[in-house]
Amino acid sequence: MILSLAWRNIWRNKRRSLIIIAAIAVGLLCGLFASAVMLGMGDSLINTTIDRDLGHIQIHTKSFEDNKLLTDTIPSAEMILSEIKAQQYVTGASARLIIEGMISSATSSGGVRITGIVPDDEINVTTIHNKLITGSYFESEETNQIVLGYKLAENLGIRERSRVVLSFQGLDGSIIYGAFRVTGIFRTESTMFDRSTVFIREDDLLTLLDSRPIYHELAVRVNSVQNVDSIYAGLQSSYGYLSVKNWKELAPELKLMDEMMGMMMNIFLGVILFALLFGITNTMLMTVLERVREFGVLMAIGMKRRRVFFMIILETIVLSFFGGIVGMIMASITIAYFSVAGIDLSAFAAGLSEFGLEAVLYPVLPIYFYASITIMILLTAVFSAVYPAIKAIRLKPATAIRTF
Amino acid sequence: MALIKINKVTKIYDGTAVHVRALDEVDLKIEAGEFTAIVGPSGSGKTTLLNIIGGLDVPTSGTVIVDNIDISTYKPDELVNFRLHHIGFVFQAYNLIPVFSAKENVEFIMLLQGLSKSEREKRAMELLEAVGLRDRAHNRPSELSGGQQQRVAVARALASRPSFVLADEPTANLDSATADSLLDLMENLNKDFNMTFVFSTHDQRVIDRAHRVITLHDGAVEKDESTSLKLQNS
Repeated sequence: MILSLAWRNIWRNKRRSLIIIAAIAVGLLCGLFASAVMLGMGDSLINTTIDRDLGHIQIHTKSFEDNKLLTDTIPSAEMILSEIKAQQYVTGASARLIIEGMISSATSSGGVRITGIVPDDEINVTTIHNKLITGSYFESEETNQIVLGYKLAENLGIRERSRVVLSFQGLDGSIIYGAFRVTGIFRTESTMFDRSTVFIREDDLLTLLDSRPIYHELAVRVNSVQNVDSIYAGLQSSYGYLSVKNWKELAPELKLMDEMMGMMMNIFLGVILFALLFGITNTMLMTVLERVREFGVLMAIGMKRRRVFFMIILETIVLSFFGGIVGMIMASITIAYFSVAGIDLSAFAAGLSEFGLEAVLYPVLPIYFYASITIMILLTAVFSAVYPAIKAIRLKPATAIRTF
Repeated sequence: MALIKINKVTKIYDGTAVHVRALDEVDLKIEAGEFTAIVGPSGSGKTTLLNIIGGLDVPTSGTVIVDNIDISTYKPDELVNFRLHHIGFVFQAYNLIPVFSAKENVEFIMLLQGLSKSEREKRAMELLEAVGLRDRAHNRPSELSGGQQQRVAVARALASRPSFVLADEPTANLDSATADSLLDLMENLNKDFNMTFVFSTHDQRVIDRAHRVITLHDGAVEKDESTSLKLQNS
């Protein structure tokens, strides 16, 4: 009956209640949608980085991480690779040979990271093969093919089928030169990556090095983010003598950004709810002042002050919760639509790619966030109601019942 | 033993600018089953006396014993509980809860008393029957006339099974016919159920029907007339 009273009291002044409900609903819609965009942006950055080159897990020797020396190779890498590939949930694993070197064209040169790969393995770990804007991804048997980013191609003034020379230090310290033909040019979401990374076949690199198969890096792809931790733990226990790291450790800036996004979302929503707090307080204060006589009568006939206090809190909670539910429904519909259709930001594509972001953003909001926002709304409602409720219970029934 | 016993009750409102002696050593006894009107000009202390009898205010000095309980030393929360179980209120402006139906208005006080839903509903319908509004049980106050609203207020006042009913200017907002009808109802309740009514009023119609009229002047009892004396005087 008290809940029913609270509900009916809300609708005594429909226009005022609808305005505050609309304010809560629109505030939440904007807050949740903005949070979903931020989270989508964070997810986009994380996913594109994982897709582009990181994979979910990487294995190196401990010394390679510090020194990046050509000789810091993973012992028995091929055996480890086949063991990893055989694991459940692992969808791909690729061994990489990594050398820092120079690339030169007829007109220009620059520093690059040369990654020797086995293309058939690499396509199961990264998505570079899907990012080609021209050419192919090691499809022909031709030797000394090179696949590089469009930005590097622009800087070097080259295009598909152009010839470039790679130079780097060999295992014995001598400088090795190798001529390669550009067979593919890719464009990822990261301009920096497109400017600094080249892919060649591992066999071609080993030939130039005059070496048996050696690898510096094993990249692992897992079927779902949820399974990364279990695979990661397994690899850590199996290969404790190596450095096994997940994507959060490999790219701490992504982890930081992920956490920052979460924190920013909460701050953003906190600011919205804080602003709403004053609106709700104002509405409830008006309600209390309009019903002075009624509260006086309730207390006169025997309603305890704490019950009056609770009734006002309950009215505020019902009002805020109703607005919150409307806002969350509106937000979830909007987010659901844009999570499929995407938000086209191609007008800002150049700027976004500097940060490694895609031009189309897909907002995403995990279900737990709706639960936490519900708690935040309830807390806001309680805080908003305290002052009006105190005003109400401070009324003297004898005076209040004679108020007109 | 009197239902209401007031011993040397004084009430002083001591503000920063004013010092008002609203009641000055008032002594009064009201027996169970009385139909009493408290009258007097504005500022005579009627409302203060009614507030003190009703546990809405406490005296500055003196004692107020209702139902053998000394309520003059009660704390606010104790007074709330006392009012809930011992006193029924009828106000000049009806003061029903506008979002509740007539039945819910009557039920509400029983909810505060902790009665079960079935008991509340049963008694609410009996009371609405008694005040002649059973067929308007589901109407809200805004759908009832002033007289009907005041009848619902009487039903609400009786819902808690109080020791007595305090009615503050209950007919002030009603036309003659409606006021007479309401007074008939109250008289019948007084006669049939020995329910004690204490009115604060200016209305001659109420004064004419009262079995006892207490006249206050400047915070003191000026006259206290019972029915027989009233008849002699008239």
